[in-house]
Amino acid sequence: MRGEVAIVGYGRTPYSRAKPGEPVLTVDEYIAWAADLALQKAGMSKNDFDGQGLGVAHAEVAHTVNWSAATAENLGISPQVLLRADQGGASAASMLIRAAAMIHAGIVDRVLVVGADTPLSIPSAAPGLPLSPERTRGVYWDFQGPFGVMGASAQFALVQTRYMHQYKLTPEQLGKIAVNARFHASLNPGAIYRKPFTMEEYLGSRMLSDPIRLLDCVPIVNGGLAYIVTSAKTARTLTDRPVYLRGFGEINNYYHGSRALPDITTTGFAQAAPQAMKAAGVTHSDIHFLQPYDDYPFIAMMTIEDYGFCKKGEGGRFVEDHDLRFDGDFPLSTDGGQLSGGQPGGAIGGFMPLVEAVTQLRGEAGERQVKNARIGAACGFGGIPYGRPGRSCISLILGTEP
Amino acid sequence: MSATNDLSTSKPLPTITDLTRPFWSAAKNSRFVLQKCGRCATFNFHPKPWCIECGSRDLNWVDAKPFGTIYSHTISRTVAMNSPEWQSEIPLLMCLIDLDDGARMYGQVTDCRPEDLHIGMRVEVHCVDISDDAGIPKFRPLAAPAKVDHA
Repeated sequence: MRGEVAIVGYGRTPYSRAKPGEPVLTVDEYIAWAADLALQKAGMSKNDFDGQGLGVAHAEVAHTVNWSAATAENLGISPQVLLRADQGGASAASMLIRAAAMIHAGIVDRVLVVGADTPLSIPSAAPGLPLSPERTRGVYWDFQGPFGVMGASAQFALVQTRYMHQYKLTPEQLGKIAVNARFHASLNPGAIYRKPFTMEEYLGSRMLSDPIRLLDCVPIVNGGLAYIVTSAKTARTLTDRPVYLRGFGEINNYYHGSRALPDITTTGFAQAAPQAMKAAGVTHSDIHFLQPYDDYPFIAMMTIEDYGFCKKGEGGRFVEDHDLRFDGDFPLSTDGGQLSGGQPGGAIGGFMPLVEAVTQLRGEAGERQVKNARIGAACGFGGIPYGRPGRSCISLILGTEP
Repeated sequence: MSATNDLSTSKPLPTITDLTRPFWSAAKNSRFVLQKCGRCATFNFHPKPWCIECGSRDLNWVDAKPFGTIYSHTISRTVAMNSPEWQSEIPLLMCLIDLDDGARMYGQVTDCRPEDLHIGMRVEVHCVDISDDAGIPKFRPLAAPAKVDHA
């Protein structure tokens, strides 16, 4: 399926920290706003999606049953095909793969994919932190919340502690990823936190769940994103800068080792990334930038090594040895990532690596533009399984040529 | 194992189903049980609808060895994505524990100074009452001094 579909439009609304006095938008309004931006970019109208496809990502905020159809109703679109992804931060990437398969099969020619979330507007048991009803129901929660597990930071801290037991990794190496993300955010008007910080400030930020610090964490925001994918043939009639899906790889519920006692220091990218690169016909040296799902610097580092940019266990050293800036030898999270850009709910943050990759490949990244970027990698990373790091791992290879 | 009592707070309680009741009831009675596969003998945790190793639905609750080894650890210094009622136990020592029977679980370690927590540390189960229907297993260092002040 290499080069059979292309992204022709994308949108990312301004993000909000929902401070007092700011207007509070609903998820439906953010979806419409993001879709509007994507349609404008593509030179299309919502009516172009009657009889086509609409994809809707899961949101933390309460929503109705039949939510993808209800979203079509809210937007006044009559799609033939509805996609609904519940793969957390892998949802945007997974819907691109599903849409590509639908287009490849000739069922539809184009799909509008939307996602928004307003986690800061969810009534929460823990002040300032979203705790949606879906998170607090069922056997998965029953064996965590009552046991005292403190959400993602505790869950990923446990993975990081184990990693640091097996491999060498310094706080400075992870700090470099965080400082670099903030630097890129300073060049991105859409990022929520744009004032650069230093390594000293990173190291001095308070410990939340050892070894995870405050500046290892994403700021949660309200916001929405969208993209439009079409057949390559249609794409070429719409734009002279289509961004082609060259290859993809996906694995869900990956175990490294046994199911009962797996090694949690390797993610599913170890399987998904080689699959994507093989499908795309590229090697590591062909890839001009990496947009990881950077919910923590540690996850970005593990993504780098599980992609095979270095040997397992040498990700920290790799980060230290390379220039991660947009104009460096290994551009990483060029929009500021979620670390400094903001995370509109876990699921919707997964649109950001994809949208930034497309922005870069279209040459529309402004001050943070990677020169001559022609091939890039973007990640989806979604959900936290019990005692392990990532439920869904998706690798996408995108390019300016099919 | 002797059950201690944590009935005074409103920490989150599990929704007890027929699937999970044996676990909570056992812990209420200071017993530690796990699902064991009748076909391949794998111990499953958390409770599963079939054995994640071989797919057999012949899972049986059996007494499990109440011992384990710390696989990883963190010290939660704030309450996050959980009930504010946990505040009184901050800093909270949360671990992944490899049980002697071969399953892994999240477990709070008590009676241990944060600086003493380490991978490979041997721990034993002690059960704490959390409701009229349920207890919960926590862990403490094996052969550690009886009680250590967290401060």
